[in-house]
Amino acid sequence: MTSETTRRKNSRTGIIAGLAAAAMVGLGFAAVPLYNLFCKVTGFNGTTQRYDPVAAAAEPKVLSDTVSVRFDSNVSPKLPWKFYPEHPRDTVSIGARDMAIFIARNESSQPVTGTATFNVTPLQAGKYFTKIQCFCFTQQTLQPGEQVRMPVLFFVDPKIKDDVDARDIQEITLSYTFYPVDEGKKAS
Amino acid sequence: MTDIAATAPVHGHADHAHDEHDHKPGFFVRWFMSTNHKDIGTLYLMFAIVAGIVGGVMSGMMRLELAEPGIQYLHGWAQFFDPAAGDTQAKHFWNVLITAHGLIMIFFMVMPAMIGGFGNWFVPLMIGAPDMAFPRMNNVSYWLTTVAFVLLVGSMFVPGGSGLGAGTGWTLYAPLSTSGSVGPAVDMVIFSVHLAGASSILGAINFITTIFNMRAPGMTLHKMPLFVWSILVTAFLLLLALPVLAAAITMLLTDRNFGTTFYDATGGGDPVLYQHLFWFFGHPEVYIMILPGFGIVSQVISTFSRKPVFGYLGMAYAMVAIGVVGFIVWAHHMFTVGMSVNLKMYFTAATMVIAVPTGIKIFSWIATMWGGSLRFTTPMVWALGFIFMFTVGGVTGVVLANGGVDTNLHDTYYVVAHFHYVLSLGAVFSLFAGFYYWFPKMSGRMYSEVLGQLHFWIFFIGVNILFFPQHFLGQQGMPRRYPDYAEAFTYWHHISSIGYAIMAVGMFFFFLNLVYAFVAGKKAADNPWGEGATTLEWTLSSPPPFHQFNELPRIA
Amino acid sequence: MKSLKTLVIAAVLSLGTTGAVQAQTPATAPADAPAAAATATPAPTATDAAATTAAPATDTAAVPAGDASYVPMKPTPGVGQPVDAGWNFQPQASVLGHQAYGLSHHILLPVISFICLLVLGLLLWAIFRYRAAANPVPSKTTHNTLIEVIWTGVPVLILAVIAVPSIRLLAAQYEPPKKDALTIKVTGYQWYWGYAYPDQGIGEYVSKILTEEQAKAAGEPYHLAVDNRMVVPVGKQVKLIITGADVIHSFAVPALWTKMDAVPGRANETTFTVDKPGVYYGQCSELCGVDHGYMPIAVEALPMDKWKAWVRSKGGNPDPQPAAAAAAAPAPAGPIPATSTTAPAQTPATAPGATPAASPATTN
Repeated sequence: MTSETTRRKNSRTGIIAGLAAAAMVGLGFAAVPLYNLFCKVTGFNGTTQRYDPVAAAAEPKVLSDTVSVRFDSNVSPKLPWKFYPEHPRDTVSIGARDMAIFIARNESSQPVTGTATFNVTPLQAGKYFTKIQCFCFTQQTLQPGEQVRMPVLFFVDPKIKDDVDARDIQEITLSYTFYPVDEGKKAS
Repeated sequence: MTDIAATAPVHGHADHAHDEHDHKPGFFVRWFMSTNHKDIGTLYLMFAIVAGIVGGVMSGMMRLELAEPGIQYLHGWAQFFDPAAGDTQAKHFWNVLITAHGLIMIFFMVMPAMIGGFGNWFVPLMIGAPDMAFPRMNNVSYWLTTVAFVLLVGSMFVPGGSGLGAGTGWTLYAPLSTSGSVGPAVDMVIFSVHLAGASSILGAINFITTIFNMRAPGMTLHKMPLFVWSILVTAFLLLLALPVLAAAITMLLTDRNFGTTFYDATGGGDPVLYQHLFWFFGHPEVYIMILPGFGIVSQVISTFSRKPVFGYLGMAYAMVAIGVVGFIVWAHHMFTVGMSVNLKMYFTAATMVIAVPTGIKIFSWIATMWGGSLRFTTPMVWALGFIFMFTVGGVTGVVLANGGVDTNLHDTYYVVAHFHYVLSLGAVFSLFAGFYYWFPKMSGRMYSEVLGQLHFWIFFIGVNILFFPQHFLGQQGMPRRYPDYAEAFTYWHHISSIGYAIMAVGMFFFFLNLVYAFVAGKKAADNPWGEGATTLEWTLSSPPPFHQFNELPRIA
Repeated sequence: MKSLKTLVIAAVLSLGTTGAVQAQTPATAPADAPAAAATATPAPTATDAAATTAAPATDTAAVPAGDASYVPMKPTPGVGQPVDAGWNFQPQASVLGHQAYGLSHHILLPVISFICLLVLGLLLWAIFRYRAAANPVPSKTTHNTLIEVIWTGVPVLILAVIAVPSIRLLAAQYEPPKKDALTIKVTGYQWYWGYAYPDQGIGEYVSKILTEEQAKAAGEPYHLAVDNRMVVPVGKQVKLIITGADVIHSFAVPALWTKMDAVPGRANETTFTVDKPGVYYGQCSELCGVDHGYMPIAVEALPMDKWKAWVRSKGGNPDPQPAAAAAAAPAPAGPIPATSTTAPAQTPATAPGATPAASPATTN
């Protein structure tokens, strides 16, 4: 039968393997923040960048090249709002700041709170689409019939012209989706 | 190497069949609290056969429904579960069928048979160990699988949104599986997968420990039979992939029940993250199902060619390479989800790389036969069928690996044909090869060669008629997971369903053969396959003693 | 009830043609339209969508009323749809489709067929030549470095040869769309599609499956035919912005080699350029619940002038000003009153374009 030494060796190997499995479970959960971080850093999935005035060494240089920016709006079927951009499209100089206005109106007879998610397409443009100010993920409560104009301040990073995959982009679409804030759900 | 065990027969080994240690416990203790690797292996095999019948009947129901356009049977079947079922419930039942068929065949048929059944039975025998490293944990693994299966089948009787049962597909994609399916059915399925996963992780720990620590003196890693190698690589894949699935579906569960938003865009989550996590498990899972099959086929081909496996080291390390590369190709399952061009190019290239080690295996099997003295017994014909069918499934995989081509074929019947060629014709053929190969060893009885050959040929013809036309349907644009289709698809769907009927006749001969073997089968010799069978299990009696290798064999 | 029915028809007609009316041939339309509108399953939702958009749409629709000469095209058998007992890809009708078809049919198919036949041939030869009766004494060969290097190296070469056109295809598929591409917003719902043309001012309209009777009456294949098609001009690049409203769907048209998931909470983008007029059918390609199999897609490609007529029939403007103009136009100062239902004149259809995103689904 199994000798004492084998048994000890077995326990050790078994524990190591068990720890490896436990570590992989941890990695599975860690994937959530890691994925978000990865998206932010690489612009993966069309995740946009945030302008950090402290980290930014200087104002971006404004190029003569322009790019068209399209504004897309979606409303969850569960949210009784109208939500649309003031202009569907804008042409901006690369590097120059631009402001877009989105309009939201509560069509119901009750106060409703909504929050927006967003991304840009083509996905490889995310790395260069930098927002200075926006209404993403902030909760917005609208009274019945109330209408708000929500500004988005952004610029397209001139570095886009140095990226082989992104420099030919002629139009970037900025897409927002408004969802109702479910009281039961909190942001993870 | 495998052959060395035979050319230098085991020393100091005697048949312990009548040894005083060979007392068996009573029925209940033996089968319900079993710690014996052979008994647990037997339990797993019986379990896999039962689950295979359930999953197979489901696929029969699907083929029956798909034989003609329109919906003919779903209403009646849905009413069996819920007398008030209407049109919605009928269509929902279709989704329940595809979900349950997928999960059952993967988690409760192929995996238990390959790893739990043959792995448990033959890994200790082949490395000269008296049992698994943790026999009691082995028992826990088995019963977890059983409970998981009961949960999965039970989920079909509780509400799952639009009808009874979970209709999310086996991939459980959010948000269909979260906000899209109200009711306990999906929770039960998630819990079932949790338990099956936990069982497999425990099994993986057990196999790794057994193979690393319990080999007989002289049985170095590079002398281990390829089947043991395949189980070792599989165990590592299980150990590293399944925990990620466990984490992924745990988050699914909390999204469903506790208001988290890991996969919910509402709260800043991302449904695509679930797909990444799922396929990080899901792709290695494919190899978990097929690698032990590679191992079995290697043993069978070598035995009936009366030749050692050609390029043993290449074969072993090809499996290691497949296992490693299998972890970095997952996103080819989600080419249409919207990913950047660089990512798609990377996953296209990485996926194609897998064809290289797979090709090495195919050619090495042929080279093993080359110059051999071939006998076409039932296990051998299954193994030969495996090689060709797996090649067909493999090359369509190369087609699908091309991200730009997958744009058209993704989620069509071409994909269905592809993975059934590698699984239903690949993994299942290797399972039958292994079953016929080891049946005399496990039962001590010979099966009927005639019935075995009939089983093979009818099954072979049936599954090819069943799955080959599905390539055509896919190229024509027929999407997956549809209960009904445009009239133009009728021709090949109809033929496909006829193929199922032929296959079912083949399975009849399988069960007939089982009955024959237990009722009238000849007693099997210790080594019924002659000098080609060189691994340690053939040095034991058939069936082997309850406890073997009390005195460890010594491999020269 | 009768007044409601009249309202339905009025709303439908005011938009040009939608819903059941489209399925009819012009000759039978007047007679059949009321009945069809009443029996058609998608009618209630379509009506609501029409009702919400009707008010702002009528004033623009009034202008080109005489130009509403759009008649839904009849599908051509064998084009844009599966054929009986067909085995190959559907004939491709887009620029990238031809390239992709070339790769899969002229490179991949011969390569994989050759590999399968090679393996089969080797197997059969080994089975015949080395059967125990013919070769009673097996050889002891277990290694041959040369052959092992060959069967590792040759597949690597074959894959490298495949990889070049494959990567090239991907690069072509991902070429950023032109600024002047026709942009269509596609939204997947449980279980129908919504299409909007933001630049043409065509607000979202709903595209639903036709019932078996309706499809037969329209001479279209059941399971594939829809009430309101996506209509695009031939030869012009089309850019789709795709999203999902509830669960993940997938927008797929085999004859255009197009498939892109509609993921809730994010936009995806894909492009195609149709090179032949025709009706191209597709189906939802990601499991999305009970009626996953019943939310087909129909893309109708028309010559530019006919497409423009269609746009006008939908109350849209086929020749919108370029984006620069929109930017140059002064934005209205100050907030718009909350009660206002009319948007600024510059973008008459934007507001209706955004609204039905909520309304058709909430009524469902």
